[in-house]
Amino acid sequence: MDKFLTVLRREYLSRLKTKGFIIGTILTPLLLTGMMVLPGLLMFLKSDKPKQIAVIDQTGVMWDSLTVNLDDRNEAGRRLYNFTKHETLPAGLDAAKKSLAESVDHGELDGYIVIPASIYEDGNAEYYGKSVTNFRENGRLRSVISRAVTEKRIQRSGLNSEQIHQLVRRVDLRTFRVAEGGQEQADEGHTQIVVWILVAFIYMAMLVYGQVVMRSIIEEKSSRVIESVISSLKPFQLMAGKIVGIGALGFTQYSIWALVMGLLSLYGIKIARVFAPKMAASNFNLPAVAPEILVFFVVFFVLGYLLFATMYAAVGAMVNSDQEAQQFVFPLIMLVIVPFLFTSYIIGNPGSQMAVILSLIPFFTPIIMFARIIVQMPPVWQIALGLFLMVATIVGMIWVVGRIYRIGVLMYGKRPTLPEIIKWIKYA
Amino acid sequence: MQTLQLDNINKSFGNLDAVKDLSLSVSPGTIYGFLGPNGAGKTTTIRMIMEIILPDSGQILIKGTPNTSREMLDRVGYLPEERGVYRKMKVREALEFFAELKGLKKSAHKKKIDAWVERFGMADVQMKKMEELSKGNQQKIQILTTVIHEPDLIILDEPFMGLDPVNAELVKEVILEQKQRGTAIVFSTHLMESAEKLCDAICLINKGRKVLDGEIKTVKRGFGRNNVILAYDGKADFLKNNGVIESFNDSGNYVEIKLRPGAKPQALLAAAMQHAEISRFEVVEPSLHEIFLATVKEN
Repeated sequence: MDKFLTVLRREYLSRLKTKGFIIGTILTPLLLTGMMVLPGLLMFLKSDKPKQIAVIDQTGVMWDSLTVNLDDRNEAGRRLYNFTKHETLPAGLDAAKKSLAESVDHGELDGYIVIPASIYEDGNAEYYGKSVTNFRENGRLRSVISRAVTEKRIQRSGLNSEQIHQLVRRVDLRTFRVAEGGQEQADEGHTQIVVWILVAFIYMAMLVYGQVVMRSIIEEKSSRVIESVISSLKPFQLMAGKIVGIGALGFTQYSIWALVMGLLSLYGIKIARVFAPKMAASNFNLPAVAPEILVFFVVFFVLGYLLFATMYAAVGAMVNSDQEAQQFVFPLIMLVIVPFLFTSYIIGNPGSQMAVILSLIPFFTPIIMFARIIVQMPPVWQIALGLFLMVATIVGMIWVVGRIYRIGVLMYGKRPTLPEIIKWIKYA
Repeated sequence: MQTLQLDNINKSFGNLDAVKDLSLSVSPGTIYGFLGPNGAGKTTTIRMIMEIILPDSGQILIKGTPNTSREMLDRVGYLPEERGVYRKMKVREALEFFAELKGLKKSAHKKKIDAWVERFGMADVQMKKMEELSKGNQQKIQILTTVIHEPDLIILDEPFMGLDPVNAELVKEVILEQKQRGTAIVFSTHLMESAEKLCDAICLINKGRKVLDGEIKTVKRGFGRNNVILAYDGKADFLKNNGVIESFNDSGNYVEIKLRPGAKPQALLAAAMQHAEISRFEVVEPSLHEIFLATVKEN
């Protein structure tokens, strides 16, 4: 036990003090915060200047409807669009388009809309702009024009504008998540974000820290220090000390991040108010995470890490260099990527038969079962079975890998073949 | 009680008998040479003593207790043939790490490390990283970690391999000093000269089997005092077709000759004088090198 702790302490402390760890620990929350704050920030910066859009209205009646309906404003109350009416006469449509295109090219205009007289019949309008890849904006323009056209069409059939307004009123679909106990919570995509963030963290824990374990073993082998170490304690103690020590390191890092994120969500808005008063008016809260989900996060973090760290330890023991490790590592990475690819399916169909089966495959459980738990709490027996299968797999893995490790760490030179590895497991 | 005792140890890897029926014992305060050609099974045996690999059968006792007991293995210092350092670790931290791996408590190892570091003249590099040290200094650290816990048994696998002369001398010094303390030292080597000078007893193995063992005096006596060292200048024709010579090892102007049983050394001298000028003629015990070659060839 003492020696296990000695190894654990070495693995933990020697990495805690490295520049890489310190920089990674500080930088990641900064990057994450940046990723969350930046879109909001950009929105404000961008919206300081309304878009200048010219309109060629060949119907002669769309202009009013368009400007009324597209009176979009940002959170600070500024207009998003500035429309100018452009007459096609006397030079004709082509000449008008040409001169507008020049204005766009010179940056005087952001774009122009052509509403042909035939729009009631064929429903085609045109938008020319410097950038036409902002899909949200395109969609907004499309819906406003189409609404204006619809209104005019109905108006022609003889209804007054009040009636029309009632007829074409937009339906707003708000989403609620039914949580445990039948309580409803408003949910505008927060669950999705929570799933992706937490699943990505588990994914990282398994791959990144697993690789750290592998490298640590390869380093001991390639520097030839391994035999001195292994003569002083049981190989299993060394392997266990390594895995737990590096796991503790990962846990430390995650705890620091969680703390930073927690503080940010508590005080972030206040801080933001100081630096960017306009921005603080909006409410971009960090999505709240229920306490039981945090508990499950820790459970799946620990189990997922143990499972993959053990397998990475086996790879480390089998190879002589990082390069040699790559082909062994590939199947391990696949074991993590496959469930990750299924995540969006799981978010959509958390209770499907496919989801149940996938979540019970021990290598997939940490990601898929966890995603299911966040989206829609599965039956207790499924969670229990998933955890049991995982623990059983981990115990089995430790037994097998302990044997591979015991022999592998002293094998230099030739990379072992599969039959040789099986022999190690049998005879160790 | 013997410090180390091996009883009928067997180990095979597939079809290869790496170690076959090996028994030996090492008393406290003796230096024991574990000799044999490359691939004889020396490292395998040593790894079994350290419980790094397990014997198929047989028993290994350290101070009368099976080596499966970790407390016993903590009383052993081991310098492997494949040796290295944690490159990124500070010297002091690495020493503390190894001391603790050998079961020394933090409170106990500080003074010991201080003393050893002083003794090895490395007090001023303690805070450096291993990789910043010269190769020679890294070797010193490896030797130091072997003896830091003042073990009862020291096992050195090819200790002189790759050492610079200064460190080779240091190893010898440490070996002799530890011997005075009553520590038993086992070292494996294929360099007979260093074994001959240092060892009290030897064990010679070949292809996994013991071919010879015992105190060095006894071993040599067993080979009889019928060896002759002869330094000459001239033609070496007398070595050929000479009825009294059983075998010889000619180095050009220095030859070690094994005589036939019962042959008279004088007859050889007479024959030699006719062909060459003799500057030295001495009847001696066979050198370990000679014994080694003779025994290995025989097997």
